[in-house]
Amino acid sequence: MNTRIIGAIVRKDLRVVRRSRALMTPLIVLPVLLMIVFPTVFTFLPRMMGGAREAFAEMFRNLPDPVKQQFGEFTEATWIHVVHTQLLAPLMLLVPFMVANVIAADGFAGERERKTLEPLLYTPATDAELFVAKLLAAWIPAVMIAFCGALVYAVIVNIVAWPVMQRVFFPNTTWVVMVLWMAPAFAALGLGGMLLVSLRVRGMQEATQLGGLFVLPVIALVVGEVRGAVLLGPWMAVAIGLLVWAIAAVLLAIGIKGFRRTTLVGKL
Amino acid sequence: MPAIQLEHVLHRYGATVALRDLSLTVAEGEVFSLLGHNGAGKTTTVRIINGLLAPASGSVRVFGLSPLVDGAAVRRRTAVLTESPTLDDRLTARETLRAFAEMYDVAAQDVASRTDALLAEFGIAERADDRVGGFSRGMKQRLSLARALVHDPDLLFLDEPTAGLDPVATQQLHQSVRQMARGRGRTVVLCTHNLVEAQALSDRVAVLGDGALLALGTPGELARRMAPRLEVSLELDPAQLATATSVIGTLDGLTVSPERAGMLRVAGIARERIPELAARLVGAGVSLYRLEPHEPSLTDAYFALQHQGNGTGSGQ
Repeated sequence: MNTRIIGAIVRKDLRVVRRSRALMTPLIVLPVLLMIVFPTVFTFLPRMMGGAREAFAEMFRNLPDPVKQQFGEFTEATWIHVVHTQLLAPLMLLVPFMVANVIAADGFAGERERKTLEPLLYTPATDAELFVAKLLAAWIPAVMIAFCGALVYAVIVNIVAWPVMQRVFFPNTTWVVMVLWMAPAFAALGLGGMLLVSLRVRGMQEATQLGGLFVLPVIALVVGEVRGAVLLGPWMAVAIGLLVWAIAAVLLAIGIKGFRRTTLVGKL
Repeated sequence: MPAIQLEHVLHRYGATVALRDLSLTVAEGEVFSLLGHNGAGKTTTVRIINGLLAPASGSVRVFGLSPLVDGAAVRRRTAVLTESPTLDDRLTARETLRAFAEMYDVAAQDVASRTDALLAEFGIAERADDRVGGFSRGMKQRLSLARALVHDPDLLFLDEPTAGLDPVATQQLHQSVRQMARGRGRTVVLCTHNLVEAQALSDRVAVLGDGALLALGTPGELARRMAPRLEVSLELDPAQLATATSVIGTLDGLTVSPERAGMLRVAGIARERIPELAARLVGAGVSLYRLEPHEPSLTDAYFALQHQGNGTGSGQ
């Protein structure tokens, strides 16, 4: 593997993404929404809607038993705990997934649509080097944004919750496992899904629409958490991460078979 | 060792045969043109030579290497200027050249100087840091050519290189091609519809039709082979035009028409009958001031080939 060639392709792709307003808007808005706006708003929700405190208590009482048993009676502190360690936590996984998904769509289908793939195919980069470069160009920023976003999330949560919690309560172990183990796995899932879709469609619009379907596991996790079917603890996070890594590996293995010059050139 | 050697290459897209038993050799340092209508097989040939497509059968060698086995090594020595400028609008000209210099593994210490030299050579230096999206068609074409040359390739494919260029830029490009081939021994393969350009630049041309090689040779050879009859301009005493016309009318197969004052144009004459034409005119007392044969052009040969292809219905 020629790392210089791979690096050149990665840098070119990232530069191209950085200069596209259409791509950068969701890449900025989604992390800001999920990692800054949501934690802030959800922390203050019971206080902001003071008159609705009883309604929140009722909502809390309706949570699945395992969640209630873990957190005890409804107080503002338990609300903050539940929101950040259970309800909002899986949403954070949308960030690496979507970032990888969007960049991969631009790198595979978008490049073909703009007709800039052909000159790449004429370079000395081997099929494997092209493949690795395209993967890294999407995976690295997705994971970096997830890591940085998680750090920002943790700082913001502790700051906004300080008046109630009076201590640094976040992140917990589950969250750390999610960030370091599950987030890269979900980035790989978004990437693998988009690779598979991109090899079968011609345009970026089709690719993003179909590739978005791979977000369903994240949605399933959120719904599972809210309904109590999944209670995310450290070991559960490790297990789910492992499963997602396995699915991503299968998708990428299928994708690499189609990622050959002789196949790609037929779609130009 | 030839730069390119194709032997009995066959390629299909599904049921459609794109190349049929194509065999040709291009020598190092040669300027070689691939001519043919859209879909004749020019782009497929270029892609096979660069390892982007695998032929169904036949042998392909580029500088002795197989593009399918040693694709990276082959592409390190080749460059392709595609028909439309396939540049990323969001990159600047400088970024484009630097990125491709690195992809072609140009030595790190040479990347900046090589980029700057090409930007200057192709007249893009002043807009080197502007995004390509704002460039005119001609500037994009020049940048595409600069990109193709960034690693100083031994074998350069130019697909319709002057499409969209103004006459000055076209002339510069022609000079660059000549300089690359004659001055630096590089091999250039032109894929073009521009027959005048092919005739002006090429050492040899191959005419493809429906994936088959219809003709191969120097432009002159092809012209003579495919268009053996010439046109001749005659300048004579204006008072003798009628006499000359009637003399020429007695010669089989020739047609004559007035060209301008004191001149006639004779069509359909074989090269070996020109002395007979001159002798008959002089013998009839016509004062012949000048006789100028017009060599058949590659254009004449090309259309003769296409006509022949249509006539047989197969293009072969």
